[in-house]
Amino acid sequence: MATVIANVRPSLKLFQSVLTCSSRRAFGSTSVLMNEDPLKLAQLKEAPMKTLEDLFTSEKQDSLITVEKKVDIGCVTGVPQEHITTRHVRIWKPVKHAMQSGTNNTHKWKMEFESRERWENPLMGWASSGDPLSNMQLSFGNKEEAIAFCEKNGWEYSVTEVVDKQPRPKSYGLNFSWNKKTRTSTK
Amino acid sequence: MLRLPFLRSIPQVTRVASLGARTNSTGAPEKVEVFIDGQPVLVDPGTTVLQAAAMVGVEIPRFCYHERLSVAGNCRMCLVEVEKSAKPVAACAMPVMKGWRIKTNSELTRKAREGVMEFLLVNHPLDCPICDQGGECDLQDQSMAFGSDRSRFTDITFSGKRAVEDKNVGPLIKTIMTRCIHCTRCIRFASEVAGVDDLGTTGRGGDMQVGTYVEKMFLSELSGNVIDLCPVGALTSKPYAFMARPWETRKTDSIDVMDAVGSNIFVTHRTGEVLRVLPRTHEEINEEWLSDKSRFACDGLKRQRLVSPMVRDSSGKLVMVEWEDALVAVARALQSAKGEELAAIVGGFADAEALVALKDMLNQLGSESLCTEEVFPMDGAGTDLRSNYLLNSTIAGVEEADVVLLIGTNTRFEAPLFNARLRKAWINNDLRVATVGPNVDLTYETENLGDSMQVLQDLAEGRHAFSKVLNGAKRPIIVVGSGALQREDGAAVFQLTQRIAQNARVAANVGHDWRVLNVLHRVASQVAALDLGYKAGIEAIRANPPKVLFLLGADEGVISREDLPKDCFVIYQGHHGDRGASMADAVLPGAAYTEKQATYVNMEGRAQQTYTAITPPGLAREDWKILRALGEVVGVKLPYDTLTQLRARLTEVSPNLTRYGDVEAANYFAQAIELAKLVKAKPSNTPLDVRQKTLEDFYITDSISRASPTMAKCVQAVKKQRQSKY
Repeated sequence: MATVIANVRPSLKLFQSVLTCSSRRAFGSTSVLMNEDPLKLAQLKEAPMKTLEDLFTSEKQDSLITVEKKVDIGCVTGVPQEHITTRHVRIWKPVKHAMQSGTNNTHKWKMEFESRERWENPLMGWASSGDPLSNMQLSFGNKEEAIAFCEKNGWEYSVTEVVDKQPRPKSYGLNFSWNKKTRTSTK
Repeated sequence: MLRLPFLRSIPQVTRVASLGARTNSTGAPEKVEVFIDGQPVLVDPGTTVLQAAAMVGVEIPRFCYHERLSVAGNCRMCLVEVEKSAKPVAACAMPVMKGWRIKTNSELTRKAREGVMEFLLVNHPLDCPICDQGGECDLQDQSMAFGSDRSRFTDITFSGKRAVEDKNVGPLIKTIMTRCIHCTRCIRFASEVAGVDDLGTTGRGGDMQVGTYVEKMFLSELSGNVIDLCPVGALTSKPYAFMARPWETRKTDSIDVMDAVGSNIFVTHRTGEVLRVLPRTHEEINEEWLSDKSRFACDGLKRQRLVSPMVRDSSGKLVMVEWEDALVAVARALQSAKGEELAAIVGGFADAEALVALKDMLNQLGSESLCTEEVFPMDGAGTDLRSNYLLNSTIAGVEEADVVLLIGTNTRFEAPLFNARLRKAWINNDLRVATVGPNVDLTYETENLGDSMQVLQDLAEGRHAFSKVLNGAKRPIIVVGSGALQREDGAAVFQLTQRIAQNARVAANVGHDWRVLNVLHRVASQVAALDLGYKAGIEAIRANPPKVLFLLGADEGVISREDLPKDCFVIYQGHHGDRGASMADAVLPGAAYTEKQATYVNMEGRAQQTYTAITPPGLAREDWKILRALGEVVGVKLPYDTLTQLRARLTEVSPNLTRYGDVEAANYFAQAIELAKLVKAKPSNTPLDVRQKTLEDFYITDSISRASPTMAKCVQAVKKQRQSKY
């Protein structure tokens, strides 16, 4: 009961004004207290107030241990179950495009969902898809972040590893070496 | 020599110490420290400025430099400032020196680049809006990033821009030579990688032209790569001309299935249509290249497709029916036959998922005769030991070899990118290559030892002149083409190859990590099929003609109606209306490799997967789903409903099939050679031969390339070129 009063007190005056014009039954037990003298109510003993600091540095807190738990935010993201359990994510790092020499798009890890059916829309002849995730391609700084994101969202995933290579030493002089097949005749 | 006076001048103690340091450094060359825009980086001596900059993530613009070609140093776009150097240096050709401070973004560097851009653009047409390279053009991008924001070109009314006549180099490459900036990448590719020294330059200065001098087709199986290499729109794809812009297409990663190499590709598509195929860099497989068949046969995916299930009616015509009717008709046929009366043949495009689903279904129906079109000798260890049928050295591994013996294979057309690796090793590592079989042009020097079986026997017994070379090799590789194993005496060919490999291995005294024996497959499905336990070759079916025959993409015509009993019910499942579908009583339309997420194992034994780019046309469905549905109707419930479950089943059968990207190494060579002693087959007198000898044999080999108009044009063009006097 005491806590109830504590909650009520700050807006006491408001309540009184409300009570005068609204149904008393609607407020239940609180309405009973309202009938009493407000001054008397103020003298009632309250539960000790706790500050935020008290809450976080209590003795009980010290005795707690942290248990690593898999975070699954699938239940709160609002993503339909169909797009969590049936989807498969591919995580990979793009390679340099063969048509160009730029490498700027090869630094980030990407994730993408498996593609679903697309069809030609009879209206314009463009491609339609019923898949809301078909255009979702996300970038990550590293593989682990991408994996963590998939795990957090509950998506099944597979990772395509990067195939590294050693740079081959190259030299302009090889074009003119007299005893190697690297010598070039045409230009 | 120059160092001597300096060494004399320093005290004795330090001199000894420095000498000690030098002797240590002979093992691994001492790294050189340079500074790229202030960032220190340690590189091997001989590294170019451009490579050193790339190590710290600084990209220097370039046109002529290409990582996989020799250094030309002629475009000057990569000029950078080096502190205390009077002139800017060409980063692509200049090796770094100790302590160099390289400025890739200084005033001088930017001015140099702007000047180069200005000169390039003076003679470059402003036709980006109609240029096929637009959107993926290095010149376009770099002029935005490094070029000037205004033009000083005012000569347009007087002498006009430079214009060059277009060349005709065949049906694959469209040339608009006015756009050429003379980077010479195509020339270097042709002479270094393709090994067809046809391209070159004529004239000098403003009159310089890149071309073939006389009108000539670019006769190479790798010619399409010059389209990728060209940094401008001078060389573009003829079949893809004016089709799409790069920003309006989707690019799906995939795996090529036109040969057994398993090249990584991008499939570019838009509105449910594959527009083009591009190579996707994979250092251990195709590097950055792609063969012409893989690149240009994709238009065959739109033609001759099976778009609806079909059943042969009473008048003997195949008529389109609904899936339900087709499945019921097929199921009835399957149920009518007893276990042993069922058989299946799988073709070269079958994926591992469909293979395992088909095998599970027929096995449950009581049949064990599941065969592949390609023959592999089952005598001795046969396909029981995985090392027997893989390219064990791996594709990249041939770069470490010093002697390679090719038996009964034309690598140039059976696996063009494997051949490109051999050529690379021949150029850079002085690889020695010998062939047994017809004397074909592999684009590099080979010693042809003859094509008779006697040569193989001599080699196996160490009597041949080449045996000395083979036994003296430190890292030998023996490759036998699967074409040679299709022969009557394939088992003898293979046994002799095993013996040659074993002898070479013993002589070279190499460790277990070096594998000598290799088999070069020609079709993409073969390794997965053998991994799953399919029988290689249709001998079992010939010996025991079935009442119901299931063809899974078997289009090579290894079996015909004449080989089968009159009342045999033939079911064809696949994507093209080709030989298989024409002899079938029921046709189930499947998906091509661009239309399904499927597993393919390449000839190294590397499992890779394709991803779904587009939806199969019409009523066609993914192959494993068809088989799953059929199983349900037949009354054999296959225990997988999703791709994940199916892959779990694949893992159960053979775990390597789902370890994507990894080469699962195989061993047991010694055991295989012991078992090979049991082989009783005798070598015949027919000389070893290969099916594809010249370029015109390369283009059309399977159901997709048979349906491709571009491939047909290529054959025509090559034949025409053969008649030309050039």
